[in-house]
Amino acid sequence: MAISTDAVDAQQGVDTTERWIRQYAHDHVAHLLVVAFLGAYPLVYSVLTAIGAGGVFEAFLPKIETMTAVFYFGLFAMSFDFISGYTGYLSFGHAVFYGAGGYFVILVANGKVPLLPPETPFMVSVLLAGVLAALVALAIGSVSFRLSGVYFAMITLGFAQVAYVFMRDWEFLGSNPRDGVAVSNELHPNAFEIGIPGVDALNLAVGPLRGDAVEWLFLDLGATEVSYYMIGLVVLVCYLAMQRMVHSPFGRVLVAIRENEERARAVGYDTYRYKMAAFAVSGFFAGVAGGLFAAFRRSVSPDNSLYFLVTGDALLASIIGGFGTLAGPLYGRLFDRGVREFLSKTGGGGGLLPLLREYVPPSVLDTGIVNGMTVGQSIETFLNGHASLYLGIVFVVFVLYVPGGLLGSLRDRLGGPVAKRLPAYLRNLRK
Amino acid sequence: MSAAGTVVDVLVSGLAKASLYAMMALGLTLIFGLLGVLNFAHGSLTMLGAYAAGLLMVTFAGSGFGALVWFLVAGLTAGVLVGGLGAAMEVALIRKLYDRPPIYQILLTFGITLVIDELARIVVLFYGMQPQTDWQAALGTKPSFIADTFAVLGGTVSHLELFEILWGVLTVVAVWAFLNRTRYGLVVRAGSEDDEMAAALGIDVRRVFTVVFALGAGLAGFAGALLMWDPAWAASVPLASETLLPAFVVVIVGGLGSFRGTVVAAVIVGMVDALMTYLFDHAIITFSGLPELTVFLILVGVLVVRPQGIFGLAEVGGH
Amino acid sequence: MSLLEVEDVHAYYGESHVLEGVTLDVERGEVVALVGRNGVGKTTTLRSILQLTPPRDGDVRYDGESLVGHETHEVADRGVGWIPEDRRVFAHLTVAENIRLAVPADDDVEDALERAYEAFPDLGEIGGRDAGTLSGGQQQMLAIARGLVGDNDLLLVDEPSEGLAPLIVEDVTEALADLAEDTTMLVVEQNLPLALDIADRFYVLDHGTVVDEGSTEGVSTDDERFERLSA
Repeated sequence: MAISTDAVDAQQGVDTTERWIRQYAHDHVAHLLVVAFLGAYPLVYSVLTAIGAGGVFEAFLPKIETMTAVFYFGLFAMSFDFISGYTGYLSFGHAVFYGAGGYFVILVANGKVPLLPPETPFMVSVLLAGVLAALVALAIGSVSFRLSGVYFAMITLGFAQVAYVFMRDWEFLGSNPRDGVAVSNELHPNAFEIGIPGVDALNLAVGPLRGDAVEWLFLDLGATEVSYYMIGLVVLVCYLAMQRMVHSPFGRVLVAIRENEERARAVGYDTYRYKMAAFAVSGFFAGVAGGLFAAFRRSVSPDNSLYFLVTGDALLASIIGGFGTLAGPLYGRLFDRGVREFLSKTGGGGGLLPLLREYVPPSVLDTGIVNGMTVGQSIETFLNGHASLYLGIVFVVFVLYVPGGLLGSLRDRLGGPVAKRLPAYLRNLRK
Repeated sequence: MSAAGTVVDVLVSGLAKASLYAMMALGLTLIFGLLGVLNFAHGSLTMLGAYAAGLLMVTFAGSGFGALVWFLVAGLTAGVLVGGLGAAMEVALIRKLYDRPPIYQILLTFGITLVIDELARIVVLFYGMQPQTDWQAALGTKPSFIADTFAVLGGTVSHLELFEILWGVLTVVAVWAFLNRTRYGLVVRAGSEDDEMAAALGIDVRRVFTVVFALGAGLAGFAGALLMWDPAWAASVPLASETLLPAFVVVIVGGLGSFRGTVVAAVIVGMVDALMTYLFDHAIITFSGLPELTVFLILVGVLVVRPQGIFGLAEVGGH
Repeated sequence: MSLLEVEDVHAYYGESHVLEGVTLDVERGEVVALVGRNGVGKTTTLRSILQLTPPRDGDVRYDGESLVGHETHEVADRGVGWIPEDRRVFAHLTVAENIRLAVPADDDVEDALERAYEAFPDLGEIGGRDAGTLSGGQQQMLAIARGLVGDNDLLLVDEPSEGLAPLIVEDVTEALADLAEDTTMLVVEQNLPLALDIADRFYVLDHGTVVDEGSTEGVSTDDERFERLSA
């Protein structure tokens, strides 16, 4: 009798596990689709560019390196959205967390951080980078969250600029701190490894030149692709963690703070604690993003990690992708990088320039328009290398007319988050 | 060097810096005071003013005292042009956002900055110059005697410093007179306090918004003209963010929207900057980022201790 | 034709429906009181007349012409003045500057100041002080003085006695009564005796609509009706 009950319980256990998995897969159809697409992207890219089609695919599809950069900066932009988009507190000094993560990883690797030897595994140091950034966030937040509106934006900007100037001129860091610091090639001839520390087989090195290459079944992945997958994996895990928090009761309190903080407080929430917690979480993931960035590039400089315009880039990604949508900023960053690569000065990643050279006859390019300026010259003057102009215009248009951004507008269309609406939508299609 | 010389050095260069900071910040505070918009594009407008004035000087100005007259013309023209651009910005873009949360005005003006800076880069490149580096030809239109120095009580004072102090004081006095001695200034002060009440008294607040935005932008353009002659600043595209950040500091330290606060804060920040620069120059402290670091520490310190700024109203933070 | 006609006005704050069809009118030369409990839409009625909270539906006509769709300053230019709740004097402007702003043409300022100081001699002595430093009673006098010098044909007065000491309330009542001699007024007031004292007619507002109206004559002595209005 007892035995049979156990059997039934076990049977039920399997059922619930299976149901749970099915339910989870069902809830995350949109995520699975995106992950599947991104997972197949390197393959698709190599096939399509190999076909050639006269360079059309190469012109429009972002390079794998570009996509990798989209991943880690996208994580930073998502962490920015986690605090600014969800609570409405504009963290204009967010770059300080990104920079903290980046500098920490490089300094640990160079043996400049007490107690941590240069051979500390990257996965450990990037985790500690996140923790450090979270602590910095708590320190900054403890005084900043007494303010709101433009004052909050300004005090966080002030803190970040203090860090920027300090790291820019601190000679302890290296001979020329203005140019940033790089990983010492003597201490680290090999690239940083992402995986499970201590288990060699479960680690893969990332980086454009020094990363690992993998041959597995019919797949032949170069260093570029390995970096893409490994960094993408970390970013995916971080995103899912943040996504879980955003859709928990905790996340709903954050939105309540954004909608009406006084009411949230009146209902009994200690909004200060919630904001601090959100800021720490946001700081943590920004720090991890900075760590990934620094590890991939093997260097970090004040201007590409701590300067307030780095926060501006996250803001740009968030607004275009969708403020307060969490996943949106990643797409926003993809848009940003995609446009920049398309209009690049050199045409290195495909883009418009080689395409024009290929298809537009020289006679057209040499036609004069005004004052002897030719078509070719005007393209050179107004298009290539000037993606910032068009991104700025798109940004302004989005702020004015598309406040929900790409993802927010899609949600409005569907009537809810894509991850929630897509399963129902698909079910309807099947009927 | 004598103690008196040190005091003269720090005092004069502090006042000169204060004048520049005041000119960078006055337009910003005027706009925030009335419209409640923290204009992130202010630095870009200053940068445009520097290039506009530089272009006029390079094209028309001769040397000697004549250049001073031309400088006045160039500065005023830059102010008018940039002011006109400001008015257009307000009417076409910013006006649409008055009833949205203030965060959107920050976003919008930040976006405008991206566009202006890139356009400037395009034009500068088109004329074969480097956007990142100082425009030497414009710096060169400065008459040589402006760069001269003379000794006072053992300290060194440059004509350029005196010139900057003169412009700073004139600008501050002019803005003060506008606000306190004209009917329009009265309207602006009233609108800054309570725009609904002002409208109910028959004042077309919208038009006043446009005029004040133009005026604030014009002041930024005029400040740019002065910076164009100062080798420590000079016309370049990055001048936009280089001036935006100190302008923010001054405006916040003084109390957002307060004219008096902005002037006082400019003097404080200018003096501290000069003192720190002196300490570094004389190797008393060897950290090269000291002046800039101190400026941002002042911002953070004031926001921690007295968030409304020195002369700001007590109720801060709401929005 | 009435000077002011409010016809079936609906107004919202965000999504909340504050005025649900308010209809009232004010004849030239009249003083009309608008009474009712807190939060029933009295202030919003005044704001919707001024187009500060533009009506989403219904019409507001002044001197026969619709005000809907016009800017607040245009409404003011036509001769509608506002003495708002909480006075809303410009705290950082001097008393004289506050008065000066209310005068339509700058040429008449000296004349207007004279008139204001004649009506409120106290203000004359403190003309150079910032209005923010004044007492509540003085601020109310200043707000009324602004209404006085504005050459208004219609004054919208909101809670003139709120937060004032009883002695000061008497002064305010007197000042308003003086002003009422040649200005039409619509007065929102919670202090019922005061309202009945200065008004010719009254409207009672509840939940965004007019629920009662009538002449103030005899209401003070009609205990039953007075009780009902006070409730």
